[in-house]
This record gives sequence, structure tokens and C-alpha cells, in this order.
Amino acid sequence: MSSETDRSTGSTRVLGDTWRSVDDGLRSVGNRINPVFQPLADGYNRLFGAYFGEMNGLQFLLIFGSLLGLLTAPFWGTFSLIQTMTIACIWAVFAMSWDIQSGYTGYISFGHSVLSGVAAYATAMLVYNVDPEMSMAITIPLSILAALAVGMLIALPTLRLSGPYFSLITFVAVLIFYRMIRPFSEYTGGETGIQTVSVFTYDPLVRYYYMLIPMLVVAVALTFVARSNIGLVLMAIRENESAVNAAGLDATKFKLWSFVLSSIPMGIGGVLLVHYYGSVDPTTFVVVDNSIEMIAMAVLGGMSSILGPLGGAFLFVMLEDFLLEGLPASARWTILWTIILLVLVFARDGLFRKLWHALERYGRRGETR
Amino acid sequence: MTLLEIDSVTKKFGGLVAVDDVSFTVDRGEIVGLIGPNGSGKSTMFNCIMSEYDVTGGTIRFGGEDITDYRTHQVVNNGLSRVSQESNPIDALPVGGNIKLFTLPNSVVSLRGGASEEEIYQYAARVGLESELQELPDELPHADVRRLEVAKALATEPELLLLDEPFAGMNQQEIRELAATFEEFREDGITMVIVDHNMGGLMDLVDRAVVLDNGDKLMEGPPKEVTTDERVRKAYLGGTEVP
Repeated sequence: MSSETDRSTGSTRVLGDTWRSVDDGLRSVGNRINPVFQPLADGYNRLFGAYFGEMNGLQFLLIFGSLLGLLTAPFWGTFSLIQTMTIACIWAVFAMSWDIQSGYTGYISFGHSVLSGVAAYATAMLVYNVDPEMSMAITIPLSILAALAVGMLIALPTLRLSGPYFSLITFVAVLIFYRMIRPFSEYTGGETGIQTVSVFTYDPLVRYYYMLIPMLVVAVALTFVARSNIGLVLMAIRENESAVNAAGLDATKFKLWSFVLSSIPMGIGGVLLVHYYGSVDPTTFVVVDNSIEMIAMAVLGGMSSILGPLGGAFLFVMLEDFLLEGLPASARWTILWTIILLVLVFARDGLFRKLWHALERYGRRGETR
Repeated sequence: MTLLEIDSVTKKFGGLVAVDDVSFTVDRGEIVGLIGPNGSGKSTMFNCIMSEYDVTGGTIRFGGEDITDYRTHQVVNNGLSRVSQESNPIDALPVGGNIKLFTLPNSVVSLRGGASEEEIYQYAARVGLESELQELPDELPHADVRRLEVAKALATEPELLLLDEPFAGMNQQEIRELAATFEEFREDGITMVIVDHNMGGLMDLVDRAVVLDNGDKLMEGPPKEVTTDERVRKAYLGGTEVP
């Protein structure tokens, strides 16, 4: 018994020592790289720091390195990588949209796939039922409006509820929407859906940019809002709603607004998805699994940070469609959900938030043990 | 001139009458003590004024305006602010951020409004917290957390401050300092209603006291009258000594 204890403390010590030397190594690397990019970061901070938050050299490298990587991917990536990244862009829009509402206010929605589903169905049903030649200039705004309208329909009666009731109602909303598709199959195409939606383009590289650019716009816009007073109030609602009211702020109004801020990009994402597939059907677009996957992506990256869920979505889709691609579906999903579980247990703040803070630490000068 | 008017307010919770047909007024510039033993309805009265509870009957007027059915944030934006008995800072935000939240405009399109760094510093300085602006609330000692609550209420620029047991859990030195702070508020033109179940130190601070007992108004008057009143003595400790 005692020898076992000795061995375990011994191995803990070895682990601790290894970690310490890795930590010191990273710190010295960080200390060397950080100054190289610090002048660029300083310039950025002067121009945009007040709007998006300040960063050090390493964080600047991460953000702008990733941005450069995304923008140039077709020039260095393989065909299947680009395919995966195209889908990841759409899911990133969903995860960020979910985050500005659920991640920030703490009113967790289990039904966000209703919003993207409504937008996608609106586009498809307009083309299918009204006019096959209808221009995207009409269908896209109408579809986003449809997502907003349904968002309000869910938010208005439910946001006064607290605790699990809000989450349950959003969950039920997906189930209802899913079940309504079949009875109205004359208009919705039923189980098989509608296949006559046009795609943006058949060129996979151009299509990638069709998804990437809106995703980046949504990311910048939501980050801007999240770093403003609005983000502060939404976060305060999560932490202490009565304090928000006591501050003279109408918490209900802000919660509704978070749904507006969330529904619009959800609509954009839904439209992107329908024009990506050129079709719509209940299993790909509406099922409750979609809502849960959005949450998983946000959790993976780090809730209430916007860019965390963006990273989480890329990581999730990359794992699903690219890195674990060779495995059978059941094994793939089991591994994926196990990873989510591990992040929930051991890194509840999310991997990208952890990375962000680590970069801040390793960039700091002269901090030795 | 009357600033706050409580007109026959009643609050029932099911069969329990927590506040029973209570009326009193607060004049501009006054400090009024709302006192009574535990469970006499003082905090319920505050909750009714702040619209945390809907009243069962009666009317609450502030500056002549009927605010009975206002929602909490409207009451606050009308110039009333309350320091609760429990401290509830947002632990994820530093002291400065907690104060800033209370200065934000109630607008979903105002991205950059609210107090400047300098103004936040001033609010903190009025309660002696100016050197803790970067601290997180859970790193502060109890008395500073209480001071933060006062600074937050102050940051909504109230005409009338409702203070619910502001001295609870403080030592004598801290109580004296906070009482002096309230005197300064009075000089700045803020009217105050202070709830306390302990009459001792409060009586030096207030101009007038309203005594509640079991949801009823027992009496009101200047501190000297209240502390020597036989009914008040009876309500506290069943008669002998006023604590």
C-alpha cells in the first residue's frame, strides 16, 4: 500500500517536473517570439483595441496567422481539406450566433437549429412553391427575416421564464418544427425535402470564399458587439440578473435583443447551408442533434467569447470530417463526444480560451520561477 | 417638500400580511430611519418600493409620480436606488466594471455609453474604494464589498437612496466611517431611508424614524421620541431596554 503511494507521488513528481520544463521551454520561446510581433500588436491595439480588446504579440500572431491561413487555404490546402473548411465556416456562424445569445446571457437554447432551419426552408419553399426563378436578392433577406420572426416567436413568451424552462421550450420548438415538415409535405417536400434550390457556384474553391467571407463578417460584427456595453450587460444577466435590473437596465429587453443578435446570423448561416447543398431536408437541417452540436462547438472553444466558438466549430468539423474520416461513423462520433465530455470536465472554459490565456502568460516578460 | 410618499401600502404573501396598510412620507434632503425588530416588514417595504414585489394594495409616489406599477429598472431610472442587505457583485468583473455596469444607458444600441474612467473613479472615491478599482469582488474584505454596493447605487445618480442594513457585519470603526460617508451624501443633496433593526448608532444619523412592528406602523417621530417611547420598547425585547 505504502509503496504504491510512493510510486504514485513519485510519478506525480516526474509529471510535475516534466510539465515545469515544458512550461519553461514554452515561456522562453514565447518570450522570443512575442517581441517580434509586439510592434504590430501595438499598432492594432492603438487602432482597434478599444473596440475589440487588446492583445500581445503572440495573440496577434494567432489571430492574424489564422486569418491569413483561412484566406489562403485554397492555395495550400488539399481538396478534401477545403471541403471540410467550407462546412466548418457555416457551422462557425451557427456556433457564434448561439454564443451571443446562450453563451453570454446564460439562457441556454437547445433549439437554435430551428432558426437556421426556418431560414433554409424559407429559401427552399419560396423557390419550390412561389417562383423557381426568384432571385437570391429576394429570397436571402426574406429567409433571414423568417429566422428573426421565429426567433422572436420563441423569445417573447419564454425569456421571462428562468431556470430550465427556457431551455426546455427551445428544445420542444425544434421537435415541433421537425414534426410539422411531414404533414405539410405538399409545400415542404416532406421527408425527402426540396432539391431544386440553386447553389452559389459549382467551383469548390470559389464556394469556399462564398462561405468564408460571410463567416468573417459575422465574426467581426459579433465580436464588436460582444466587446461593447451590450456584451457587458448580457454577461451581467448571466451572472446576476437582479443586479442588472437594479442598475436601471431592462434585463428582459436585453435578453430579447440577444435573440435578435443571434437570429439574424443564424438566418445567414441557414441560407449559406441551403445554397451549399442546393437542397433542404429535415435530417440535415432541423434535427435537434444540430442544436446540440452547436452547443458542443461553443463549449469546445469556450462559451461567451465569440471567437472561441469559431475555433471550436473548426476543430469539431475538422475532427468529424477530416482527421477521423477513416473511422466508421459510430466510432467517430463516440470519440468526438468523448472529447466534448473531457473538455466539459477538465477545461470548462474551453480550449481556445485556455490557449488565449496561455499566450498572454507566455508573452509576458521576465517571469521566471 | 415630499419626495417619497407611501400611501396605505399593503403586501400579503398568501395568508401572511407582511406589511399592513402602512403610510409615511420622506421629505427631500431628509435621512429617515425605518426601524423595527426582525420580520417587522422593513425589507418587504423596500422590495415593494423597488417593485421587486407587487403591492397588494396602496400607492407609492415618488416626486409626485405614481411609481407603484413601474418595473424595477424604471424605478431606478426615476431616481431611486437601493443598497440590498445581501451584497451581489458580479464576481467576474473588477470593482470598476461593477460600478460601470450601473452607469450604462438602458439602450440596446448604445455600444459605448456609460461613465468615463474618471467618473467611475469619483464614484469609488466617494465611498473610499478608489484604490481597489482593479480588484475582483471576492478578493475584497467584507466592509469593502458593502462599500462597493453603495458605490453601485450611487452610480445610478439617485435622488433617494434606500439603504437596507448598511452597517451589518461591520466593526465600530467601519460603522463610523460609513455613517460619515452618508452625512456627506446628505450634503450632496441625496435623500436617504435607512433600514436597521439595531437602533443604537442609527439614531445619531437620522432626522426622523418610522417604526414598524409585525407589518404595522407603530409610530414615527424624532429619534429622541422614538427611543423613549413605551410601545417601541415593548416591540423590542418586550419592554425593558432599547438595544
